[in-house]
Amino acid sequence: MNDTHEGTVDEVRRSSCCVVLRLFFPLLFMLPIPLAAQTARDAPYIPANDSVVLQLVPPRTDPRVRQFDQLRSDFSAHPQDATKAVLLATAYVDYGRSTGDARYLGRAMAVIQPFMALPTPPVPVMLIHATIQQSRHFFQASRDELTQILKRDPGNVQALLTLATVAMVQGDHALANRLCVDLTNNAGNFMGMICSASLRSLSGQGAQADALFSYVENPGPKAPPAIPAWIEGLMADNAARMGLADQADAHFKKALQLTPGDNFLLADYGEFLIDHVRAKEAIDLVGGDTQSDTSFLVLVTAEKALDLPKAKADMAEMDARFRSMDQRGDHVFMREEASYLLHVEHDPKAALDLAKQNWRVQRAPKDVRVYLEAALATNDPAAAKPALDFIDSTHLKDVTIDPLVAQLRAAQPDRSALNVSASASRSFSRGSDR
Amino acid sequence: MNLQRWLYALFVIAIGFSPLSAYAHKESDAYLTLRTDTANDHVMHGQWDIALRDLDYAIGLDSRHDGAITWGEVKAQRKVIEDYALSRLEVKGDGLTCAMQPTGQKIDEHTDGAYAVILFDAVCDKNIPSKLTVVYRLMYDLDPYHRGIVTIHAGDKIAGAVLGPSDPVASLNLREPDRWGEFKSFVTDGIWHIWTGIDHILFLLSLLLPAVLIRRRLQPRGDGWRASAVLAETSGALMALTAQPPQYRWEASPRFWPACLDVIKVVSAFSLSHSVTLSLAVLGIVHLPDRLVESGIALSVMVAALNNIYPVVHKRVWLIAFAFGFIHGLGFASALAGLQLPAGAMAASLGGFSVGVEIGQEAIVLAFLPLAYMLRKTWFYQVVLLRWGSLLIIALATGWLVQRAFNILIPGFSAIIPN
Repeated sequence: MNDTHEGTVDEVRRSSCCVVLRLFFPLLFMLPIPLAAQTARDAPYIPANDSVVLQLVPPRTDPRVRQFDQLRSDFSAHPQDATKAVLLATAYVDYGRSTGDARYLGRAMAVIQPFMALPTPPVPVMLIHATIQQSRHFFQASRDELTQILKRDPGNVQALLTLATVAMVQGDHALANRLCVDLTNNAGNFMGMICSASLRSLSGQGAQADALFSYVENPGPKAPPAIPAWIEGLMADNAARMGLADQADAHFKKALQLTPGDNFLLADYGEFLIDHVRAKEAIDLVGGDTQSDTSFLVLVTAEKALDLPKAKADMAEMDARFRSMDQRGDHVFMREEASYLLHVEHDPKAALDLAKQNWRVQRAPKDVRVYLEAALATNDPAAAKPALDFIDSTHLKDVTIDPLVAQLRAAQPDRSALNVSASASRSFSRGSDR
Repeated sequence: MNLQRWLYALFVIAIGFSPLSAYAHKESDAYLTLRTDTANDHVMHGQWDIALRDLDYAIGLDSRHDGAITWGEVKAQRKVIEDYALSRLEVKGDGLTCAMQPTGQKIDEHTDGAYAVILFDAVCDKNIPSKLTVVYRLMYDLDPYHRGIVTIHAGDKIAGAVLGPSDPVASLNLREPDRWGEFKSFVTDGIWHIWTGIDHILFLLSLLLPAVLIRRRLQPRGDGWRASAVLAETSGALMALTAQPPQYRWEASPRFWPACLDVIKVVSAFSLSHSVTLSLAVLGIVHLPDRLVESGIALSVMVAALNNIYPVVHKRVWLIAFAFGFIHGLGFASALAGLQLPAGAMAASLGGFSVGVEIGQEAIVLAFLPLAYMLRKTWFYQVVLLRWGSLLIIALATGWLVQRAFNILIPGFSAIIPN
């Protein structure tokens, strides 16, 4: 791989201002280092004329926006009514999910906050609260809250499903398994099967997962498209883990047909394409969605993999986006940033640090993978031990991870072999199109 | 499954089974930069970048509801944006809130879209802030995950903090407290308060005008009159107005020093008494309603000028100065309170203001005395200035008294002379 951009300003980048800022938050203090570039990249300006469009916002023609207005006026007419608050907050969370706009999580939170201050918040309010915590990757807080909800209402389907999701992302498969059983008992086979299939997909039982998924793959014409799209996405991930690239590709395409432009599918499919040396297609896929950080990350990674001239400018832009996330103290992008540091910026040390931090929060297959990749790339197989132990206990199988595991295990006694294996792993996982 | 169940399932999925990857956009941020001004220690220049998306959510910018916010729409809402944002931000110098004055509107591009840029000055009026405090409440009721990224440039030092609804306050020591600088600033305020406080000036001038003259009795009077006149003079009270023609005539004082001594007495007596009440009021020991104080000041001007037309007190004019000085001191105190005192700088501000008042007052006296002494023999001085001038002052003071005591506005009066 061509390393024209190797280690220039990026060492300094993360270490300086923002990390320190977070430590001293919220106390102001004097720093002798310049932060001047941190706020805006270009100087403020006065637009040329009144008709210049500065920002696109959800238009009133969007039925969901009109629904917000309706729910909002309902709620403001009855500000004490928790049910109306939950309806509005749910609409915000839902809209935020489909557009990937995290601002709606905060707006939803503001709506339910007064009810959370009650001595015993209503269960639906706590559910929204836990869901927002989960979406913001505060998994432990979400988990504690959901556990409380289930104590009050053991058959709550939404709490079961959300907690199962949290348990899976935290790597607590025993808990997830129990919850899948509870889900089957309380919500019927459909939910139960998706839950079990998802768990099997994470436990090295891809074929069984696929079989289970195919039972529910076609939920009938009455199901809203988001439901089969969701299942197709899960099946695509499962197929990809099993190394069935063609099947995975087909599932991704089906899912995107059902919910075109879904932000999470775009990023997921884009990463898959880059893995399979189809970076050009990845660029075509996300090229129209560059305002989204996840899509833009796919774009930059693909450009770098192809060594396009545009990559340099877009890397600077991506860097600025990461920095502005750092500034506000966000930690939701750690896995994505670790992967970016490793594959685009070629800074394995920083990538490993971030992957380790990320590991404390989430342990999905992609988290495992970047951790192992970073450990290999830094010639530090010992650092990967927590992830390797995790794979042992969960039996996770994934074609993007298995070779890394083999290399790390082989590297344990003989450190001299590491260089070769690290680069071998990289060229597998993020190969160039040329 | 029927549609109802599917919708329920969809709801559960959308809410429960959120994706495990990160959201596409970061949450709401705004960027606030404050810069000290090397030329003016009282001012901080602010720049506040707030996402148009957030402003649209909070106050509605997309007035055409077409999903596209244009510069025209942002420009049209400038005042609304400024009122909304600046009322949710406090910049304090040593605990005192600095006034926010918007100075411009621009646009800036950030990583997640266009931001409205509010340019403003935080004018920390009366003190040079040594400890700067920022209280940040933007979006506190709309988005608990909103963050204000605050950067402060103080000279060549830079500080930063991340503020939000749960942590809205941050403080920074900008510099060592500059008590001497504050003292000087309050001296200036004191001077200006005297110079622009026309009622104080007129009171003083009314008392000083006769200082370069000597009063001569025209006709000898009976004992009864003399007794009451002496009584009135001694007590410094207003004499009963009589319809008789003037019993006195003014003559130029033959020598400078006795005149000068009179002036010094008047000025010192005034200073002494107003310093006492100024201090007592600032320390919170004495408090009178503003209306009473202001009316009292108007009355004092009236009395001082009347004394030039119907002299009751001459040799002991300083008594008038001393007696009414107390009420003027309370007036200074309310002016000083209006300037906002930094808690840690009570001594500097009170001392500085008093010194300023004295300087302002002495400057008037120093300008007045030589001129008055030169002109004292002239008809202009004795009749135009002393008599007509005093009459005019009486008229003005009466107007003030009526306005202030009854809290009414006399039509046209304020246009002639400011209150």
